[in-house]
Amino acid sequence: MAMYTKEELFLAISTVIDPEVGFNLVEMGLIYDAESDDEGNVKVTMTLSTKACPLHQMIVQWVKESVEKMANIKEVDVEVVWEPVWNITMAADNVKKALAG
Amino acid sequence: MSSISQDFAPPFKLIAPFFILGGLFYILSTFYIFSFTSSDLYFSNPSVISFTHLFLLGFIMMTIFGAMAQLVPVVLEVGHFGVELFYAIWPLLLIGTLLMVFGFLYSAALLPYGGVVVLIAMMIFVMEIFMTIFKVKKLNLVMSSVLISNTFLFFGIIFGLVMALSYAGTLSFDISALLKAHVYLVIGGYISITIMGLSIVLVPMFTLAHDFSMRPLEIAISLMTLGVVSVVASTLIDIAALSYLGYALSFISLLFYFYIIYVIYRSRPRKENDVYAISLMISYSSLIGSLLLGISYFIVGSEELLLATAWLLFFGFFGFLITGHIYKIIPFLVWFERFSPLVGKQKIPMLADMVPYKSSQAQMIFCAVGVLLVTLAIVTKSDVLINAGASFLVVGAFAFFRSMLYMINFK
Repeated sequence: MAMYTKEELFLAISTVIDPEVGFNLVEMGLIYDAESDDEGNVKVTMTLSTKACPLHQMIVQWVKESVEKMANIKEVDVEVVWEPVWNITMAADNVKKALAG
Repeated sequence: MSSISQDFAPPFKLIAPFFILGGLFYILSTFYIFSFTSSDLYFSNPSVISFTHLFLLGFIMMTIFGAMAQLVPVVLEVGHFGVELFYAIWPLLLIGTLLMVFGFLYSAALLPYGGVVVLIAMMIFVMEIFMTIFKVKKLNLVMSSVLISNTFLFFGIIFGLVMALSYAGTLSFDISALLKAHVYLVIGGYISITIMGLSIVLVPMFTLAHDFSMRPLEIAISLMTLGVVSVVASTLIDIAALSYLGYALSFISLLFYFYIIYVIYRSRPRKENDVYAISLMISYSSLIGSLLLGISYFIVGSEELLLATAWLLFFGFFGFLITGHIYKIIPFLVWFERFSPLVGKQKIPMLADMVPYKSSQAQMIFCAVGVLLVTLAIVTKSDVLINAGASFLVVGAFAFFRSMLYMINFK
């Protein structure tokens, strides 16, 4: 039995904003998956919009901290993956619309 | 965490002097234009050479070096070999640039000293970059471009020093023969290839563009490399045909480079036309304008057209590409240092909030009009247009400096 659902974890991570574009990581489509076990261990799988992102380590840290704020969380593991490669179709409609001007 | 992150964002106090001095040299360069009349506009004029060094060394190279302190780890994906070395680079480049600018204007005896000081500054820079590259396990195309461009810079400054010593009478080489190699190594070899490599990382990063082929960039960098080698070889072995081959190769290279930028522009999901996007549009339009003027020079053969080509390339293409990226780089560095520790604790600004709207727009408009007027002034040999263009550029340069100070002091 998972301590938190994927939706609850995504909601916590949605507090993390990309300072360059001004949208949160979840609506940007950068968070691929999040799951927890019954002991409070969480695994987040995410990507970044570019491999050359200078905020790489910071963003990972922010994601970790956003989940750690939830009650009874024991450990958070954030894995950054490059497959599938992120593209704008993964973002929410409001993001696509806003970016398109 | 902080020690790792700092590899990718060096302390702002290390980079700030490069940008502030670069901005001041930009202002000085625009004031300098007032001193020209149409009869002064020829390449061998010491005043034109002095002005070129003021702008290229003082603004372009100073700003590129500062930007590289932050961008090299981003592009190479490893920390600097010794980022503290950058503390030594800007004072040396400042002194060397001033000695060279005054040397060309007032006393050739200053040139060897200026040349040596610039050489030391650039050698420190090049060696730091090489040592950083050695930390990379496998070079990709962009990383290779950094290696190639810095190798050209290394040879470019050796040629420059030999020229400075010859100009002052210490050595007796044919300066006009060396000039072509020096100019091509630094402008084609270093500045152009650096721009090609870095922009292919930065432009898609800021426009969120994906799914484009890197093949045109590969061709562009290869052709520019061959072009620079051809021109340098023509200088050393005195075969004119090699020069023309080099010109043709670099011309085609820039077309390929423009093509990949155009593809990225067309496919970009982020379509807002902020100061960054418009600066880049002006920059790349200037590149095309410069290439067209270059073609006219080869058809007509008048020196004014070659001067206008160089002017539009330097102040239009290089200038706007650099000022546009400054509106991204400074906010990031200031934000990283001042606001990133507050993430999740209090409301903090987005990067776009740190760019002053009015002064950035003023800079863009006044500089664009100024660049255009001076281009026309060179082609038509009009003193009135030179002064008109300089007036616009001075206002634009002050607006740029004001924008920089606003972003640096943003609280």
